[in-house]
This record gives sequence, C-alpha cells and structure tokens, in this order.
Amino acid sequence: MHFLDPVSPAILSKVMKPARYTGYEWNSVVKDLKPAMVNFVLAMPDVYEVGMSNLGLKILYQILNQRADTFAERTYAPWVDLEAEMRNAGIRLYTLETKRPVAECDIIGFSLQYELSYSNVLNMLDLAGIPLLAAEREATQPLVACGGPCAFNAEPMTDFVDFFILGEAEEVISEVAAAIADWKLSGKLNGKAGILRQLAELQGVYVPGFYEAEYDAAGRWAGICTDIPEAKQTISKRVIPDLDQVMFATKPIVPFIEIVHDRIMLELFRGCTRGCRFCQAGVLYRPVRERNIETLLGYVQALIDNTGYNEISLVSLSSADYSCLSPLINRLTTRFKPQGVSVSLPSLRIDSFSIDLANQVQQVRKSGLTFAPEAGTQRLRDVINKGVTEADLIEAVSAAFRAGWSTIKLYFMIGLPTETDEDIAGIAALAQQVADLYKQIKGRRGAKVTVSVSSFVPKPHTAFQWFGQNSVEEIERKQRLLRSLIKDRSLSLSWHDARTSFLEGVFSRGDRRLGKVLLRAWQNGVKFDGWSDHFRYNIWMDAFAAENVDPAAYASRNRDIDEALPWEHLSSGVDKSFLVREWQAAQQGAFTPDCRHKECGACGVCRNLDVKVVDWGQA
Amino acid sequence: MAKLRLKITKGNEIRYVSHLDFAGTIERVVRRAGLPAAYSEGFNPHLKMAFASALAVGVTSEAEYLDLELTAAPDVAGIEARLKAQLPAGIELKAARYVHTPSPALMAVVNLATYDIMVPLMPAATLAAAMTSLSSFNSEVEILYIKESPKGRREIDITEFLAGPVTASLAADNQSLTVRLAIRITPSGSVKPAEVLAVLTGRYGLPADGGNALIHRTGLFVWDGRGQRSPLEL
Ligand code: SF4
Repeated sequence: MHFLDPVSPAILSKVMKPARYTGYEWNSVVKDLKPAMVNFVLAMPDVYEVGMSNLGLKILYQILNQRADTFAERTYAPWVDLEAEMRNAGIRLYTLETKRPVAECDIIGFSLQYELSYSNVLNMLDLAGIPLLAAEREATQPLVACGGPCAFNAEPMTDFVDFFILGEAEEVISEVAAAIADWKLSGKLNGKAGILRQLAELQGVYVPGFYEAEYDAAGRWAGICTDIPEAKQTISKRVIPDLDQVMFATKPIVPFIEIVHDRIMLELFRGCTRGCRFCQAGVLYRPVRERNIETLLGYVQALIDNTGYNEISLVSLSSADYSCLSPLINRLTTRFKPQGVSVSLPSLRIDSFSIDLANQVQQVRKSGLTFAPEAGTQRLRDVINKGVTEADLIEAVSAAFRAGWSTIKLYFMIGLPTETDEDIAGIAALAQQVADLYKQIKGRRGAKVTVSVSSFVPKPHTAFQWFGQNSVEEIERKQRLLRSLIKDRSLSLSWHDARTSFLEGVFSRGDRRLGKVLLRAWQNGVKFDGWSDHFRYNIWMDAFAAENVDPAAYASRNRDIDEALPWEHLSSGVDKSFLVREWQAAQQGAFTPDCRHKECGACGVCRNLDVKVVDWGQA
Repeated sequence: MAKLRLKITKGNEIRYVSHLDFAGTIERVVRRAGLPAAYSEGFNPHLKMAFASALAVGVTSEAEYLDLELTAAPDVAGIEARLKAQLPAGIELKAARYVHTPSPALMAVVNLATYDIMVPLMPAATLAAAMTSLSSFNSEVEILYIKESPKGRREIDITEFLAGPVTASLAADNQSLTVRLAIRITPSGSVKPAEVLAVLTGRYGLPADGGNALIHRTGLFVWDGRGQRSPLEL
C-alpha cells in the first residue's frame, strides 16, 4: 500500500531530514480502518528523533495495535522548516502511517515528558486544525489526552486537554480504547460528555472539565470541586504490580534515520527507592518492581530478531541497581556477543562495582563515564539524600582511570535548598580533585573532566515541592561564581539557561490560570521552548504581564506545608506526610535509607495502591 | 569467505532516506535475516558491505548493487527467501548471485548511470518547446557548471559526463515530461541528474517545474566503450 504524501517533493527536498516525515518504517503497522475501529494517534510534542526514542509510546503502540478494535498511528512535531511550509501550503498535521489528517482520528494522546513542550502541544493541535480549547471541541472531533510524568501536575494544561492518564498506562490504555470503541458503536451516545463520564470512572483517568478550581481570598489555589458523580475527589495513578505480566515493546518500529536512542531499549525495572529528595521520577514510579531475568532474556532475543539492532541499552532509572545485573550482563554477553551484539549502561552508580560492570560491557572503547554527585559538599548531598560520599566518588573515579578511562562527566545542580556559596565552591573543588587524581594515578596530565551544571527546579510530588526556586538573577550569580572558580585547563564547564529553568519551574508547580498565559504566548509565537535556539523568554514574560499572572508567585515563593497545592488531587500513591517528613529530614541533613534493601520508609505507596516491591535478588 | 552481489531497489516510500541510512537499513535487514555475514574488527563491528554508487537523497532507483561478504556460502534461493521476508517497504530484492573472490570493488567498475526524471511541465508549456530546449542543450560542445559542495566550489564541463544526448517524452499523465539521461561516473567525479536538470530549466529554457521533479535511477552499468553490462553480468 502506498499512501500519498500530503507534502510535495518540492517541499520535502527543501527541508532538513525529510525522512522524518515519510513513514513506512519496519514494524510500523498499517490497518484497514473500519468505521467501528478506534483510530488512536500517539503523539510526542517534539521532533521525530526524540518522539521515536520514547519507550512508553513504543509499548502503547504495540498494545493498541494488538487490539482488533484499534488502530494506533504516530505523529510528531514537524521541525520549524516543515511547519512553515505546511502552513504556507495549507497542509494539516498528518499521521506517519496512513498520512491521514490527525483531525480525522478519534483520539490523539500526547506524551508530556517536560513542561517546555507544552507550547508544542498547542502548536500541533493548531497545525492539525483541531480547536485548542477542550470546551470548543465537539464529539465529531478528536478527544485530546495527555500522559507521561507531567500529567501529575495537569492543571496548567487543563484548558486544552479532555483527559489525563496518570501513571503506567499498559492496562488503562486498553480500557480507554474499549470504552471509546463502545461509545462509537452506540453512535456516540450522550456526545463527548458521555464518553468522558465513562472514562472518569477508570482508575488513573482525570477529566479536568468536570471540576471547578477554587482560589482563596489571597488568590491562592484552594482545591477543586465537582458535582459530577463519576468524577473522583482524588485520582490515583495506575501501577502495574507485576511487570512480567504486561506486554513489552518487543516489536518496536525500526526507523530509517538515526534517532536519539537508536538501539534496543531494555527496561530492567521501574521505580527507584534510593530516595533522592529532588527526584520526581523516584516518587512517581514507586515502588521498585523488577522484571525477571528470564523474561528479560526472552525480550532481548525477540528484540534482536525483530529489529536487527546490535546494541542493547539498559534503561531504568538507575540500571546498576538491578538486583541480578551481574548474571544478566554475563548471560547477555555470552549469548549475544557471538552475534555481534553489544551492551551499554547509560546510568552509573558512583561505586567501583559499577566500574567493574562498565569495564565488562565496554571492553574496547573507553568512551567516557558519567557520574552525578549532584552537589559539591557532603552537607548538601546529605540534604538531598544523595547517599554518596566524596570517598565513594574518588574511589570510583580512581577505578575508572586505572581501567583506562580518561574522560569523566560530572553532573551537578545549583539552586538546591539550603545552598550557600560554599557549596558552589565545593563543585569546583571536587572537579579539580578528580582532574588531579588522574595525574596522581597516571603520572601525567590528560584527563578531560566536564562539569555539567543544571539549575534545580522544584517538582511537584517531591520533598522539595514547597521550596521557592532561586530567581534567574541568583542562578546567574551562582553560575558566574562557579565560572570564576574553575581555572584548570582540563576542566570544562557547561550550564543551562537560567531562564528556561525558571519557566519550567513556573509550569511544573503551576495551576489552571497558566492556561491563558500559555495560549497567549503560543499565539505570539513560542514553540520548541526546550530548544535554546527557539526559546523566546521575552514573549513569555510579555504573556504573563498581559494576562496579569505573576510567574514568580509559582516558581519563587516558598509554599506553606499546609497550603493546598494544585496537584494534590492527583496522587502518586505516596503520602503527603512522607514528603513532609523528608522535607524536614532534608533541613537536618538526615539520611533516609533505600527501602528495597533496608526497612520500609513508609512512603505509603505499597499500602495505598496494593503493590509490593519486586526485587529478585531478595527472592 | 564468499561475496554475494545483490541487486535491490530504493522505492518511493524511502526516497528521502540518505545513502548512509539506507546502508544502515540494509545492515539491519541482513541481521534480521540471519545471514552468515562477515563483520569488521573493532569495538563497533560493521558488516562488510560495499555499494556500487551512492544515491542522492530524494532519488529512487530500480537498480542498486551491493556486495556483501559472508563467512559461508549457503544456496542463493534460501538467502533470497530470508532477505525478502525482512525487507521494509520500498526495498525489493531483484537478484542475488555469488561473485568470484577476489573481484574488483563495484565502486571501481561501475561507470555509467541512467536516469528518468519525471518533471511537471509548466502551465501552458508544450512538448515542442521542451524539445527545442533539449536540442540546443544537446548541440553544445561545452557546458560549464559550478558545482557547490561542502568541500568547496569546482567548475566542471557537464558534456564530459554525458554519455549521450538527453531525450524527453510526454509522460502518461500528459502534464509531465520524462527526461532521460545517461551519466558517466569517472574517477574524477560526475554530475548529478538534478544539476543537469537545473541547467536545463535555468539556462536552456526547459519549461518544467524542477522543484517538483522526481528523479529515478533506471540502471547502473559497466561500460567498456562498445557495450554496457549490468554488474550482475560480469
Ligand atoms: S511503602 Fe515502603 S516499601 Fe513501599 S515503596 Fe514506600 S517506602 Fe518502599
């Protein structure tokens, strides 16, 4: 079957990387769309190479297309060059599979990975010819859904989205598809409200249009209320108790062009209970649930057969924590190395065990290792519950240098709670120590140490959700201070634009009133905010001013512990009391151990959602 | 060690896939098919695979040739069946054959490429006007053209690379021309069909919309001054 490209050869030969837009990839699915079928478009508000690398979307694509009553297609944000051509020629956003206009599908589901992609959601809806405001869309137009980590503070996007899915979607996505199929069969009984009421009953589904937001006299968020019986007061995330029992992306689409993660993505487990207090993923994906090693080996065989990739990347929040990692790597290398398949570990723990592993998988090329001490002093690492010491780092780096590595990347954050200039100086000192270590061990210079510094953005559902983010000026001052302290030629320093982190901070802890700011900023031309070349800070600030919304009130203000927060009706399963305890422990620099190895820290998720830690090393 | 020569197509579906990505795609096809492929040494082993000639982005082809080194020589019919089951849309396997080893690299022997360019006629333009333009082009003894590449600017004489006159006929849709040309591939380089078309429309008044041209490679040959043979006939 050949589907006519809506975009002409003249346009495609003008734009960068035209194969982003033409489809036909191996393992992509084309179905004959019958009227009763649900046409589900899976979307990522980012370019093809990023969207195609998202594991969640790969899994959902496979689950949805497995269903006889559903046909899932894909669409991604066209890069600005193609967008201009499409707008010029009046071409609407289309799917990669059948090149049909997205506006003709039943539902479009966006994966929200970070706040700076929100403007792209609006832009894609507009490019599709779909009204932006949920209230203006009719039953004949697609439903718009969002999932991914940002759904856990849905409020800034509620004007535009019909429903959100919280948590792991392997099961609920099927329930959603089945409900829409029935609704279509019934002739869309009771219109859009009819289907949304049904969806609102599903655990993990939030239909914001069924709720009113309330604010107190001071104009602060006071909560939501509803008189729709199906709409729950608290919406709890979905969680898969046994990951071995759900479908994995064993038949992922193999792109023609190189994407960000152009290899087999093997997810060993979900969750991380190390308990870094800044980390949102560590809360959202609790508890830790591992896949069985036999399950994983079966997946790898299927993935190699189905894709032809010869590289496996172990992707989990902290892959080195997998309880059976050594046997897994041994078995992977003995079984698949003869077939020319290599294994890589993207995230490393700071200990020499990890170096042994890295050595095992990277036997020839020493391409560089990344460590994340996160903070420059022990005091501050204790505040954030990063359970590593300087001695751990020194030991790990020494092991790496001795094993032949010379390029080390160190990740830090600035703007953390309780941070002082001493902590900033600590970053420079630690980096210098690493560079000096190389000389001590090797007897010569030649280490390359990259210090990468991001600005801390407090995230909802974390112990730091009450903390007032450092202002743009304060972050820039700290960046300059750090710059002045780093002198050695073997050290290089990079940091993030403080202004993008500020905007991210506003939206990550924002509420419903940000919808109109987003709409205005988009109307005035913002898009691809996460791409520094395209970030337009002034347009954003003008939009805040025009809508009379103070961004600092969301980002910079310290919030009270007993203040209502705009994401408290969306539950990760973790108790607020646990976050409060962790916030207090942070002030004292008190350590909270990892619950998978030590005792339960009583975060509440296991009890609240009736799940258990799955750790095969303990079994 | 055995050397397998394949003739494959690059169809409309994957027209915009670059040569490098096309090669990567074939590599994954070969691995999925489970052929006993030979790999290069080193950290990131690659298939030992060599194409006759790179195809520009946007150009389709019905005759791409590549040599693949294998560590064994299973029968060709079996290989064909295994490859065909793994080919994505846009790639067809036309033929496969073992070639003697050692034999010269495809790249070193293939020296002629033929193309069909399907290009929309300008509104109200006639075939006669197109023919006039072509005949004035074909009668030139020298056509200087500045090739621009990331490596710099270089002046070439297009006529040196044309193996015969450029011809054209009205396409089936009655609104487009099919322009046919045969281009020499020489050790010192070649000219791209898109460049020839740009000169035709820009300097010789060919009344066609070059921006919407669809270029299709119809053959790659070894030409010895008297006749041409396909790389599979060597
Ligand atoms: S409830 Fe206890 S065991 Fe379960 S994730 Fe929370 S701290 Fe860990």
